[in-house]
Amino acid sequence: MVSKFENLPEMKPCYAKKYLPKLPAPITVRIKFRKIGSAQYISHLDFQKSIHRIVARAGIPTWYTQGFNPHAKIAFGLPLSVGAQSECEYMDIRIDREISCEKIKEQLNAELTDELRVLDVYLQTTKFCEIKYAAYEIKLKCEGLSKSLAEKAEQLFEVSPLIMKKRSKSGEKEIDIIPFIKSISASYSEDDGIMSMSAILSANDSDYLNPEYLITAMRDRFSLLSGDPTKEWYSITRVRILREDMEDFR
Amino acid sequence: MNENYSSILKLVSKPGRYCGGEYGSIIKDKESIKARFAFCFPDSYEIGMSNLGVRILYGALNEEKDIWCERVYAPWVDMEEKMRTYDIPLTAHESGDAVRDFDIVGFTLQYEMCYTNVLNMLDLMKVPLRSADRGEDEPIIIGGGPCAYNPEPIAPFFDVFSIGEGEEALVEFTKLYIKMKGDGTYTRAAFLHEVARTLEGFYVPSLYDVTYNGDGTIKEYRPLYDDIPTKVKKRIIRDMDKAYFPEKVVMPYIETVQDRIMLEVYRGCIRGCRFCQAGMIYRPVREKTPDVLNSQAKCLYESTGYEEISMTSLSISDYSKIDELTDKLLEWTNDNMVSLSLPSLRADSFTKELMDKVASVRSSSLTFAPEAGTQRLRDVINKNVTEEEILRAVHTAFEVGKNSVKLYFMNGLPTETYSDIEGIAEIAKHVIDEFYRTENRPKGRQVGVTVSVSCFVPKPFTPFQWEAQDTMESLAEKQEYLKTKITDRRIKYHHHDARVSRIEAVLARGDRRLADSLELACRQGFKFDAWDEFFDYDKWLAVFEKSNIDPSFYANRQIGLDEVLPWDIIDCGVTKEFFLRERAAAYEGNTTPNCREKCSGCGANKLGGERTWCPNSKTCLK
Repeated sequence: MVSKFENLPEMKPCYAKKYLPKLPAPITVRIKFRKIGSAQYISHLDFQKSIHRIVARAGIPTWYTQGFNPHAKIAFGLPLSVGAQSECEYMDIRIDREISCEKIKEQLNAELTDELRVLDVYLQTTKFCEIKYAAYEIKLKCEGLSKSLAEKAEQLFEVSPLIMKKRSKSGEKEIDIIPFIKSISASYSEDDGIMSMSAILSANDSDYLNPEYLITAMRDRFSLLSGDPTKEWYSITRVRILREDMEDFR
Repeated sequence: MNENYSSILKLVSKPGRYCGGEYGSIIKDKESIKARFAFCFPDSYEIGMSNLGVRILYGALNEEKDIWCERVYAPWVDMEEKMRTYDIPLTAHESGDAVRDFDIVGFTLQYEMCYTNVLNMLDLMKVPLRSADRGEDEPIIIGGGPCAYNPEPIAPFFDVFSIGEGEEALVEFTKLYIKMKGDGTYTRAAFLHEVARTLEGFYVPSLYDVTYNGDGTIKEYRPLYDDIPTKVKKRIIRDMDKAYFPEKVVMPYIETVQDRIMLEVYRGCIRGCRFCQAGMIYRPVREKTPDVLNSQAKCLYESTGYEEISMTSLSISDYSKIDELTDKLLEWTNDNMVSLSLPSLRADSFTKELMDKVASVRSSSLTFAPEAGTQRLRDVINKNVTEEEILRAVHTAFEVGKNSVKLYFMNGLPTETYSDIEGIAEIAKHVIDEFYRTENRPKGRQVGVTVSVSCFVPKPFTPFQWEAQDTMESLAEKQEYLKTKITDRRIKYHHHDARVSRIEAVLARGDRRLADSLELACRQGFKFDAWDEFFDYDKWLAVFEKSNIDPSFYANRQIGLDEVLPWDIIDCGVTKEFFLRERAAAYEGNTTPNCREKCSGCGANKLGGERTWCPNSKTCLK
């Protein structure tokens, strides 16, 4: 409660930002961050609202729109559904004062928890529309898992068509999800009874496949995860985001 | 959070309510603490996270090294269903540990309609509902907040109540618990007796015997020991500048009701509206100084990044240093794109100068509360606002670009007649006319007036505490009548559900015998009664009938002025003599000046306080 911010050199970043040198024109920085554990349950919309406050208290010199209701411009890469974790989320922030990428990372991380951590900050050079695929690690622990079931799962996701109901704004429709699956592998470990899957799924604007469909498909076809939810679990983690040429998006 | 709880979260709506892990939440090492405190808000996460009192008390308890305070909210119905199906007990937000295993469980009681949630949460914790049925290993259940001023309807469910402001009291209470656990003198009974005997502001209902007269009224309260107080005096924080202030708050990741900085400017209220409980129980007025407020606001901005500061108090424009405070805040808020808002403006102190400063561009609407439709009735309730003042205020609002105004009124106030109801429609019409009389009004936009009418609920510790509530039939007729009087399409009319207000009145003025009804309600699955979609009036009537309670006895009866009241066991600082004088003045249509103009001798000055408006207090602001 002491007014340390009155003293310029020791000012908190949120007040100090106005003393940073102004840039000739706003620039865009890209922020790569993780969203795991508890943070996976924050919806995309709620997270968008929170991030404005995080950026404000971290003292990031964001550029404000010049309209009637000024606000910071923050753009997000891929949406992530509630209940899925990620080690590679991206957002772009426009800044209008000089600050190093290292400093942005440091100041943001001071305002975040481990479950929501900035991993990298750099100048934006690519567009989000270059994103083509996303890679996921999926883990399941429930009744009915085995080595042979892992093999059956791999086959299930290889043979077209695999028709699933997809809900959209215009109602429910049936789609074949196989064309959206670039690759998939599954294995089962006797030691811990966990089935692990690695999947690369389409992730561009027009044909984005929510990884939750893979879980739903296995629930429908193999009756997995249909028991007591306090004894069974699964997790989905997005681990990489890829371009058309299968190189990492940056 | 363990993987299994995680699976449940994938099955419920808005899992962000339950996952925890918010920035600013406090995690302590279980080995290094001596008492675990579960602070429960008996409503949804979104509402509970918005409560300033919880933020303050959470911080104050966690300042203590020996104490770990965690938060608990009422699970939404879909979550509760999973918890009951899979036998998952109610857990605390930070650790995920079962609340049942805590040392102390506190409930904040903000409104009567949350009582069914309190009981439902106890049931989900698997703690016996009644204090008398709890064993030595079960937590101590404590209640506090405005409803604790008449705790009697829920008294059998609580071990103890904290009366008044809790930031110092709860810490003392928990420290006494730690001490008695440490030196081996703790038993539930010994601890509760010691609390009642040695700590100020704690009411242990099981230590008082209540007897009743043949007509159902209360005969007397008798303390079981002669070393405990016959009346429990409320606690206050004397110097608000020195009161504990949370520098860091828990930041919700999901949208909550009050998603902004809440800057508590002062406590109490200089007005004395005769229906208003808050205006009486939080007396005396105690202000913070502008410098302290400014650095607290900065501090909260640093730790939250919120884009709005809401200056909270019962009537913000009554703050004696409002100009100095807003000037100081504006020195840094504009630079940081932070806007100021004043949620509780009175029409008589609404100035263009103040409006220009707060200029909350985000809203095109303003709210005023004339409460009654005629000057006569406004005098009866001591509102001390004239129609001219209301029209001048809306004129100013229209001048600065607003085009819609919300007006709050109440039906069923004592002495109300149909001409008072017509007055409500008249005021709304005059506001519309004022819009067209305002020369620089917003051009090209339609004016809109929203008239929102609630039902009067007589509340303990007010001059109207003895009054009968209008019957539901009468309230419904009045609501219908007003509807026929509002013909202008530019005036929108809403009214509260009179059935909810009636149950609220029963619970507000109830005594211990209501506990049977509440227990039955809980057994029948009542919950979220403050939510329209769950409230079921007919089921409430059935519960009262089954438990031999006549709701009219509590809601619609004129209480005798010499009767023993269920809340006479509590001393809120303001005397019964004052309430009686105010009641008499109401019936004569006489107003009482506010504390700043003249002291009316309410009695609250005996509680002390720095920067009050009480003339008999040494540090009066005059």
